[in-house]
Amino acid sequence: MSPQSRPGGRPGPASAAAGGAHLAAQWGLPLGVLLGALAAARLPGAGGALAAGAAALLAAFTVHRLRLRIRAASQERGSLSEQLVQSQKLAVLGELSSGIAHEINTPLAVIGQEAELLRADLETLEHGPAREALGRRLDSIEAQVRRCGDITHGMLQLVRKAAPVLQPVVLAQLCEDMALLAEREARRREVRIVRRYAPGLPETLTDPPQLKQVVLNLLVNAVQAVRPGGRVELAVGPGAPGWSEIQVRDDGPGIPEENLSRIFNPFFTTKPPGQGTGLGLSVCLGIVDRLGGTLGAANAPGGGAVFTVRLPEGANPPEPGPALAR
Amino acid sequence: MSEPIRVLVVDDDQSFRTNMTELLNRQEGISAACAESGDAALEVLAREAYDVVLLDMLMPGLSAHGTVREMRRRGLGAAVIVVTGHASVDDAVEMINLGAYDYLLKPCTIKEIVQKVTWAQEWRRLQPPQ
Amino acid sequence: MDPIKVLVVDDEPDFVQLFVKRFAKRNLDVVSAPGGREALELLRATPVDVVVLDVRMPGMDGLEVLREIKRRHPLIEVIMLTGHGSAESGLRGMSLGAYDYVMKPFHIDDLLERIRKAWDHARRRRADGEAPA
Repeated sequence: MSPQSRPGGRPGPASAAAGGAHLAAQWGLPLGVLLGALAAARLPGAGGALAAGAAALLAAFTVHRLRLRIRAASQERGSLSEQLVQSQKLAVLGELSSGIAHEINTPLAVIGQEAELLRADLETLEHGPAREALGRRLDSIEAQVRRCGDITHGMLQLVRKAAPVLQPVVLAQLCEDMALLAEREARRREVRIVRRYAPGLPETLTDPPQLKQVVLNLLVNAVQAVRPGGRVELAVGPGAPGWSEIQVRDDGPGIPEENLSRIFNPFFTTKPPGQGTGLGLSVCLGIVDRLGGTLGAANAPGGGAVFTVRLPEGANPPEPGPALAR
Repeated sequence: MSEPIRVLVVDDDQSFRTNMTELLNRQEGISAACAESGDAALEVLAREAYDVVLLDMLMPGLSAHGTVREMRRRGLGAAVIVVTGHASVDDAVEMINLGAYDYLLKPCTIKEIVQKVTWAQEWRRLQPPQ
Repeated sequence: MDPIKVLVVDDEPDFVQLFVKRFAKRNLDVVSAPGGREALELLRATPVDVVVLDVRMPGMDGLEVLREIKRRHPLIEVIMLTGHGSAESGLRGMSLGAYDYVMKPFHIDDLLERIRKAWDHARRRRADGEAPA
């Protein structure tokens, strides 16, 4: 799979896998019993019954393991096709919102101008509480115009797609750079950033400034999600063959179930109004997608959220296998 | 510098251009007028000299691109600042490569406009004569 | 190999002098500008590969300068220098297109290596055929 192709969304492999699991379930166990019966037919007495039993158990065990692997494989592919849909949604939304933003900017500018003209007119009035009060209202109008401007200007970021420019990168070094930056914020909040870098990881061919944006974003989110004294873990290590993984885990409250499916939507934010536009994670998803990787969010078994970036090491990585147990 | 900087505001939105013109005229050292389209702007520029032209990127009729090209063809030395509603930032940057001095994003404050207009005038002063 | 052309933007002349001296020895061509406006005017006429830019400067703010450089000269890579460095400004800078963030005080060799990587990134981008805006 090259970074540019998309394995998800093809119905073939997923349904073949599902079919395989079904077949294994249907026929695996009876087949095991049959083999056992044949073995038993050759062995006299108690030995035969034991052999039949053992064969049946072995078959059941094998079928169970096979089903688990197949289901895991189709879940992994499922998440890739979800990401494809998500990034398509993002692209359409981006185009739409940039069109709207453009239209809104002129009337917004006119409102700002009227406020500035009013302010000039205000200067002809006598000083006093009335003039002060009007001045404050104008301050508010100008501030809101600026705020709207930030939103419309922010929308442009969704559409501006920079094609990745690839360089060989030592992921641990890249992540460490961003951890050092994030640590300034973390120290202020008495939050620790714990590193876990697997040694000997091969270099990854990727776009460093774009990937840095993703890693820093995830780290800052994690630092902001935990209480003072909390902990953020940054792990870099191998994933499936040909893939590397970067994981950011926090011990904060985790992501509410109802938000998990929306967390990568543009403008979705849990921050109070005025603080952040909610574009961060959707931009990160767009970047990781263009880098040929996947970005997933989940709640860690022990509590807190975990974000996983999976990246192909080179330009033509093998299909990702089942997610490794962590 | 006793001569006021003469600014021509070109925008098809009536409220925007008349407000902008009024705000500029209230600034010390600036004198402004407006035109509703690229063609109208060229007519005005044929009659009177202007130092800086604030040019909307997206207008019906003669495009910003076409207006600037025609200005150069006629040897008009006014500095051009293109004004864009943002979806066309890349186009605005392209205009700079074609000779515009700078660009502005809507919405913008009068303070930002005056600063760029002032810088544009200073930059003009340093250009070799046309 | 052609020397890497670097523009250093900083309002402290001593700092700039340090750069010019140290980098000239390492096959880097250094020009300087005291602020954002001067940097943008210089970039109109002078070819530059990498810009080293302080986040905090009087006049035009470092992030504003970064944004304008990336808009007008998308092939030029920018490395931000940060003294106080909040993570938020780092994030803003990376999302505005900075190639890298370096914290002060920095090691000159470290900065050199990052400049080299930034130059390599710019070179590859040119090779990929991305045309300037």
